[in-house]
Amino acid sequence: MLTVYTQYRDMHSDIVISQSDGRPMYLQIMEQIRQRIAVGDWAPGKEIPSIRELAVTLRVSVITVKRAYLELERDGIIVTQQGKGSVVAPDPGLGAKLYDQELAKHIDRVAQLGELLGLTPRELASRVREAADRMTKEYS
Amino acid sequence: MNGLSVHLEGVSKIYPHFTLDNLSLELPTGTIMGLIGANGAGKSTTIRILMGLVHQDKGQVHVLGRQMPREQAAAKLDIGYVSEDMRLYGSATLAWHMKFIRSIYPQWDQPYSETLLRRFDLKPQQNIKGLSHGQRVKAALLLSLARRPRLLVLDEPTTGLDPVARQEVLAELMAVLADEDRTILFSSHNTLDVEQISDQITFIDRGRIIASDNKETFLDRWRRLRLALLPEAVLPKLSGVVEVGGSGRLPVLVTNRFDPAMVSACNDAGPLFKLSTR
Amino acid sequence: MNYEMVKRLILKDWYLQRWAILASLVGIVATLGIIATGGKVAFLIGLILLIMVIISIGAQMAVATIVTERKEQTLPFVMSLPISYREYTACKIWGNLIIFMVPWLTMVVGSSGLLLLSPSSRGLLPYAVIMSTEILLSTCLILAVALITESQGWTVAAIMVGNLAVNGIGYLVAHITGIAKGMWGATIQWSGAASALLLGEFATIALLLGVTSFVQSKKNDFL
Repeated sequence: MLTVYTQYRDMHSDIVISQSDGRPMYLQIMEQIRQRIAVGDWAPGKEIPSIRELAVTLRVSVITVKRAYLELERDGIIVTQQGKGSVVAPDPGLGAKLYDQELAKHIDRVAQLGELLGLTPRELASRVREAADRMTKEYS
Repeated sequence: MNGLSVHLEGVSKIYPHFTLDNLSLELPTGTIMGLIGANGAGKSTTIRILMGLVHQDKGQVHVLGRQMPREQAAAKLDIGYVSEDMRLYGSATLAWHMKFIRSIYPQWDQPYSETLLRRFDLKPQQNIKGLSHGQRVKAALLLSLARRPRLLVLDEPTTGLDPVARQEVLAELMAVLADEDRTILFSSHNTLDVEQISDQITFIDRGRIIASDNKETFLDRWRRLRLALLPEAVLPKLSGVVEVGGSGRLPVLVTNRFDPAMVSACNDAGPLFKLSTR
Repeated sequence: MNYEMVKRLILKDWYLQRWAILASLVGIVATLGIIATGGKVAFLIGLILLIMVIISIGAQMAVATIVTERKEQTLPFVMSLPISYREYTACKIWGNLIIFMVPWLTMVVGSSGLLLLSPSSRGLLPYAVIMSTEILLSTCLILAVALITESQGWTVAAIMVGNLAVNGIGYLVAHITGIAKGMWGATIQWSGAASALLLGEFATIALLLGVTSFVQSKKNDFL
């Protein structure tokens, strides 16, 4: 049976939600908003689409966007003002902090995968080092 | 405006071969609820009762503040209803239908109806009987959407539509919700659609509501666990397992009461091959 | 009762049946034309044709607007409009009756005119009026059965019963002394029997429509 998965793009902010991505939609939204902020596309204090607006553009339920925004606010990434919509939090160190959060998450995931594959911490560490070395070579 | 757009309390309906038993449903204004259930589970009957087309044997039905079926004529002025078993008049054109509806409902939005014609790629001068199934569904939806009703009641709105048409319909449904005073209730077989745009999901089975909750809670709690059992291991006992599939040493369990502690319980029986929400 | 909506629904049904309505008028006029050509054979054939045409018009309209609407699943569309079953029933009864009146009155006026014009057949007038009303009664029966039973089978049965009744009653009435006496004369002889019959027919029509409205108002499920 053929199932069609589709991607949704928000024109204003280029947020893309994919149903074929196994992760919950609210997480995808959160991650992409974090990325936009981390790379500086969305500046601190900038207005972001209201929950309902984003829901309509992404064709995702309001409750999903609400959840994403709630968690982002909990993490201090965005600020929602009563009756005035949401903005990127004015914290200047946001960029670096977000990158650090990203790294921590990925490291956890790497560790989890290592365990599933039965690698020892040392084997895992050497794999990571290989990758880091490769990365440095590419960028030097 | 808040409050409930739809409120069913203790609704029962008895047929010779089927009973709707003590149904209670609350649909807050400005939200969208997906109704999921197998064929014959009672989705269509529930929807008909809520539209006043079928009179309940017991219980209270309030839609948009009106008592059904007594005030159905007034209520239907603000409700857009499209059901799978509904057809338009084959010997008339879509343009005729649009004119007919426009003459009845003062809230008809002519510019929006023309936009919908373009978006749904429908030709108004065409006879309804010359349209494909998908086009007919879109035509019926257009007639409802262009009136901008406060409540949309849709019985299987995307069933039988090709993927492109499905996306167009979902987009228009979500656009309705841009106005927080408007509400949608739709029933569907298609769990993907329901999962994507619903705020709330209600499961109906054999005439009873077995679960009704907000969509994110559902997605959190439903998990599919694929295990690779060790040679002498036994399937772990998990609570809320609704389905056990797979075979032999590669069982697949579906639970609706997921708890991270389950992961360790599974790990004892064998490595957790994959944990997913589908 | 929302009379605006009933009016719109009736106009809708007439629009959807426009070709059938037009064809029926043409049929009646053509049949009257055949009768008017004179000659006993043309007269007889024309008469039979006229009765057949008008009966089938009434039956076809009732079936098309009531039974077919249910079968082709356009009924949910109608019921999604801001109406209750009261408006639906009123639309079907009045819409069908009024539009049936057009060919029916054409027939009554046309045939009366023809009968009056030729001196030898004037005596048939009372009989013609009674039989015309009988056909109206038959159509009302079909309408009532179609609405109340919501079943194609019962409606078809009602059409057959109506047909037989018209024939049967036609025969019986022609032998009632009061009427038979003046039938073949050159003058119109209106008898008490004729008046009684006519009154009875209209009373039955009123009864049928009344019962239909009542039964419909008691129904709970529209789909």
